[in-house]
Amino acid sequence: MSAAAREVVFAGTDGGALTELSDYESVGGLQGLRRAREMTPDAIVAELNASNLRGRGGAFFPTGRKWSFIPKPDQNPRPHYLVVNADESEPGTFKDREIMLRVPFRFLEGCLIAARAIESKHVFVYIRGEYEREWEILVSALEQLREAKQLDDVTVVLHRGAGAYICGEETALLESLEGYRGQPRTKPPFPAIAGLYASPTAVNNVESVTTVPPIIEMGGAEYAKLGLESSTGTRVFSLSGNVERPGNYELPHGFPLRDLIYEVGGGIANGRTLKAVIPGGSSTPILTAGEAEKVTLDFDSLSQAGTAIGSAAVIVLDDRCCMVQLGVRVSQFYEHESCGKCTPCRVGTRWLTQILKKIEAGDGTHADLDLLLDVGERINGTCLCPLGDSDAIAVASYVAKFREEFLQHVEEAGCPFRGASSLDGIVAPTDVHDAHVGPPELTRPLEVVA
Amino acid sequence: MSTPSDLITVTIDDREVEVAKGTGLVETAAAAGIEIPVFCYEPRLGPPVGACRMCLVEVEGLPKLQAGCTLAAQEGMVVRTSATSERAAAGQKGTLEFILVNHPLDCPVCDKGGECPLQDLTFRYGPGSTRMTFPKMTFDKPIPVSPLIALDRERCILCYRCTRFSGDVAEDNQLIARNRGAYTEIATFAEDPYRAPFSGNVIELCPVGALTSTQYRFEARPWEIQDVPTTCGLCPVGCSTRVTTREGAVKRVQSRNHPDVDGGWLCDKGRFTFPHLRAQDRVREPLVRGERGLEPVSWDVALDRAEALLRGAGKSVVTALSGSETTEIAYGLAVLMRRGLGAHSAVVDESTSAALDAFRAPLSTIGSAEVVVVVGDDDVVDRAPAVDLWIRHARRQGAEVVTIGSRGTVQAAPGGAAAALQELVAPDSALGTRLRGSDRAVLIWSGTGGGGGARLAEAAHALGFGGKPGCAAFHLPARPNARGVAEAWAAAADEDEAEPDGIGLLVVSGDEAASDPGVRALAEKADAVIAVTMFHSLAAGWADLVLPGTAALEREGSAMNVEGRVQRLRRAVTPPVPDELAWLSKLAERFGAVLSPHPAVVFEELSGRIYGGLALEQLGEHAALPARASYAAPEPPSAGDGSTAGQSAGDHFVGTLRLLRYTPLFSGHQVERVPELQFQRPEREIALSAADADRRGIATGDAVTVRSNGTSVELRARVDRKLVEGVARVADEHAAELHLDVEVVRA
Amino acid sequence: MSTFYEEVQELRARYPDERSAVMPALQLAQERHGGWLPEPALREVADALDLTPAYCLSIASFYDMLHVEPIGRHVVEVCTNVSCAVSGAQGVVEAFEHELGIHVGETTEDGGVTLRTVECLGGCGWATVVAVDNLHRLHVRTGDVRAIVKELSG
Repeated sequence: MSAAAREVVFAGTDGGALTELSDYESVGGLQGLRRAREMTPDAIVAELNASNLRGRGGAFFPTGRKWSFIPKPDQNPRPHYLVVNADESEPGTFKDREIMLRVPFRFLEGCLIAARAIESKHVFVYIRGEYEREWEILVSALEQLREAKQLDDVTVVLHRGAGAYICGEETALLESLEGYRGQPRTKPPFPAIAGLYASPTAVNNVESVTTVPPIIEMGGAEYAKLGLESSTGTRVFSLSGNVERPGNYELPHGFPLRDLIYEVGGGIANGRTLKAVIPGGSSTPILTAGEAEKVTLDFDSLSQAGTAIGSAAVIVLDDRCCMVQLGVRVSQFYEHESCGKCTPCRVGTRWLTQILKKIEAGDGTHADLDLLLDVGERINGTCLCPLGDSDAIAVASYVAKFREEFLQHVEEAGCPFRGASSLDGIVAPTDVHDAHVGPPELTRPLEVVA
Repeated sequence: MSTPSDLITVTIDDREVEVAKGTGLVETAAAAGIEIPVFCYEPRLGPPVGACRMCLVEVEGLPKLQAGCTLAAQEGMVVRTSATSERAAAGQKGTLEFILVNHPLDCPVCDKGGECPLQDLTFRYGPGSTRMTFPKMTFDKPIPVSPLIALDRERCILCYRCTRFSGDVAEDNQLIARNRGAYTEIATFAEDPYRAPFSGNVIELCPVGALTSTQYRFEARPWEIQDVPTTCGLCPVGCSTRVTTREGAVKRVQSRNHPDVDGGWLCDKGRFTFPHLRAQDRVREPLVRGERGLEPVSWDVALDRAEALLRGAGKSVVTALSGSETTEIAYGLAVLMRRGLGAHSAVVDESTSAALDAFRAPLSTIGSAEVVVVVGDDDVVDRAPAVDLWIRHARRQGAEVVTIGSRGTVQAAPGGAAAALQELVAPDSALGTRLRGSDRAVLIWSGTGGGGGARLAEAAHALGFGGKPGCAAFHLPARPNARGVAEAWAAAADEDEAEPDGIGLLVVSGDEAASDPGVRALAEKADAVIAVTMFHSLAAGWADLVLPGTAALEREGSAMNVEGRVQRLRRAVTPPVPDELAWLSKLAERFGAVLSPHPAVVFEELSGRIYGGLALEQLGEHAALPARASYAAPEPPSAGDGSTAGQSAGDHFVGTLRLLRYTPLFSGHQVERVPELQFQRPEREIALSAADADRRGIATGDAVTVRSNGTSVELRARVDRKLVEGVARVADEHAAELHLDVEVVRA
Repeated sequence: MSTFYEEVQELRARYPDERSAVMPALQLAQERHGGWLPEPALREVADALDLTPAYCLSIASFYDMLHVEPIGRHVVEVCTNVSCAVSGAQGVVEAFEHELGIHVGETTEDGGVTLRTVECLGGCGWATVVAVDNLHRLHVRTGDVRAIVKELSG
């Protein structure tokens, strides 16, 4: 199978970008919006339900159902909000960024249709602060839509993040957007009932929203014919790591992982061999090369393999990758991004990193390996949000799938790669941070007036 | 009240318990006699946040352990705590292991030791040992968050109670969490101290020894102390307090939650001012003016001298009351002066009014109001701090809070409170209509002059508050027991007060009176002065006889607070001098008046006259609020206290501003004597509206000269965007001798 | 020319609740103060939004892109998350250290360049990603580093 499969999200781009409204309209852009404006909000939701579009951010929750949870204006008179999560930060994932770069109008068109579906006049796009060009393109696209009087009475505010992975979690995103520290809230209440400013709010991912206009154009039933019955439609897969041709590829759900790596991606780079694949962003459990051969890229196949499709970010690792070092690096990420609100995540992610570093350094014992798993178990399922769990689950999967390699570190009192791992010596932000614990002003002496 | 239909049944650890629907799971378990341990959970801080994860429980039907504090009881819910669920027990052990990963084991030298939730819960639920072998995170410590509070970041378990208090309750946003993740730390901005009226509450909220009181550090262990339940005597709220004493000395003051009055919060004045009891210049024996100034004399000599002065002046004695006396002391003075000497003239703050009893309600009524209107020029927090917290609470619950004053949401010229109320009751006032139509509306008067309580009562009556228990009106007097003192004075005799021709003797009762410029002016006219004060500097230079005073913390007695609630003060420590009633009773005897030296007996006597026969035992630890009285129209405004709203900014000379003085919360003779409280006192600054500042080319931080005929003061300017134009706002203590109209220029 | 205060009022007007403007206001203040937020910058933001400097600090210190410590005129940020790391990011980091003569986390003596490693920049398919003053350079190899450094010092 080739990458020339039917494109939905990127339809009409021909590999390029549609950043002028006239170009977008010339390939049929805004037809979905026009059609939606003739539909009732309920009819739009019904179309989404028929498409069985499920959230592309990672949770795979049915989009139409999410919208149907939003109370009607007569049930809740507060303003309704659509918040788009453009804070793409899951390691391995870079699809939303390309969507905003290449089809900004389809994305904004989707925002306007979604706003109509939930009877909202206020759209907030929370875009990752690091995405500078993408932001500029959205600013320009929004201005063009405004000049073309396509916004109607809907206000769209582009809000820039400032660098915090946790703000990709929907309640943390809402906190951040409200001007608080981006820390997750307890649920319930769910955003549909009390989200932004305690008002009914739908939070949707960029790719999900961008898929909405084509669904309205072609009809939900038609869209549902793409992909698999349980995982309908196409998906923009972010392929990265040790492959010849990394990049974003829009493919139907159910596409074999092996074909993505070897056909679409051109195989393992530098003539190396495949060791493992992280199939849905760094939060998802790892697959061995053998397992990767068998799975297809959809919800069911990956769930059955004990992992998840997540954000459809496929990270390919070749035979030079030390699994303990991978554990250290992944755990460092979660430690760095932990918001610090709940105890198990704040303390546990740091502790996991420390144990993994000890093992990598050759100072670990069998007891440390048990401790590693046990600390992970104490994190997993006790946190406020999925961040801490993700660290514990990812690390546990490395131990489970590559236990021999962990044991080798313990028994040989050192890393079997002897400095030749592809992750060797890598400096993470927390490595620098650790060197500077305690800012200088802490040396102020205690002054108490006698 | 729950009706049976609101009740639901929850099963916790196989025990069935009935609670009202929506009750939090922690409270539900408590009702079943089961503990769900918590650190971050504290309902007074707002909705639960589920941060510490100490409260993990198993809930049937849910795959993961749940944070019990974030759940509400639902019909048929089956919950297992660590007592019956191995998973929950493992979860809680895990949480404690995580919490203890960085917590130092310095309990033996920690002030919290022995009264520490972390210590207690580790004992009950924790693992016996740790598997953490890496170095704990270390910080320099302790950090002075302010001169009052020390922060030990190593002990901090990041439960965020303190920052939630600062951000969500007091809304001062001074104490914050800095950084993210494992590197999060509690901090203030730069080198700024945590400077806010309620900062000390974070010490009590801290479930570990991370935030400790600098006053209490290393002063006592929990098993060496005695706690005395009493009522704060420093403002008209009268928050319930618990006073910790050791070896006869006050060591700290803590809140003792009265849910209707203070909600369990205490301001820093109430909490940290007690060291004034041990002030260097405390008057410890009677003083008589001799050739070389005031000289100590024996009590016998002092009482003889007092008798002679009183006898010499007779009916021409004028008594200046502070309004901070217990009702019993005020009554005792009245018995001596009015019954013993027939001297009926007194200086008493009568700005409050008994007519308000028709709209009496607990202060917590403010918290559940849907509309709150505050009139007057003083910030509520300066007059009655706890009321400020109730208003903030109401606003967070969605109430509309309208302030009408020189810094109000509705700007008014200074002194416009009475006029504002008149407008409010006018038929065409939209806000008045809203108040009339509401079942949960509150009016508050926070300012001086203008008839105060009486005008407020008239407005509440006109707005129909009388029949609605959720509607209330509060006048915030300037003195803690203003109402009780005024009533006690009135109750002691039936004769009308009459101005004597001259002042034969001025008796100054207490430090507030002694530092009042009005009283000082009277003294100039008096032939002689007897001053009852705690501090030498207040007595020096004008008194012929000084009798040592006592402080609220040293007194037995009662006081009537802003609600009209009679509350009991208990003697936390014995004063170093005989209390006022002891010598008043002796003096009264010499003039043939009967006065008991025992506060309880005096209470009994005056209770029939002013407290409706209330018995002392009824006050208990949490005094109840008397029922509402029927409305009796107060005296109409006299010429002296009429509205000054007509004096708008345009009325005075071009280029001059109207000086608006205010008395900050952190001022007065007690605060002045506590070194660690000095940073809370007002800056030497003058607040100007943005327009007035612009016009004069003045920016925040500029040095300015403030002039009014003949006198001038150098102050720092601050642009206050909330301040009405034409006004210059200065704290009393920095306004010196300035007159009403001032010129402000860059220095 | 409009003042910072006025510009923040415009930001404020975009949101139903003024607190939401704190992030854009901090971003604006950082631009105005040479890429980081010294004390006066935080005080200005607080004044313009009726917040406290402490509150602004709590927000600023939460986010990686807001800096409460001094930072170089230029900032080089190398992604060292997994996809970049397995594609040679450490070599790129070391090349920058060599060319700039500083370690990761440091700023050159003249205050010109700060070198940091950062978490995933969302360019995993274009490894190694290096953000230079927040503009992303893709497919950076060790051999490209010298030219980038020259560009910055030029």
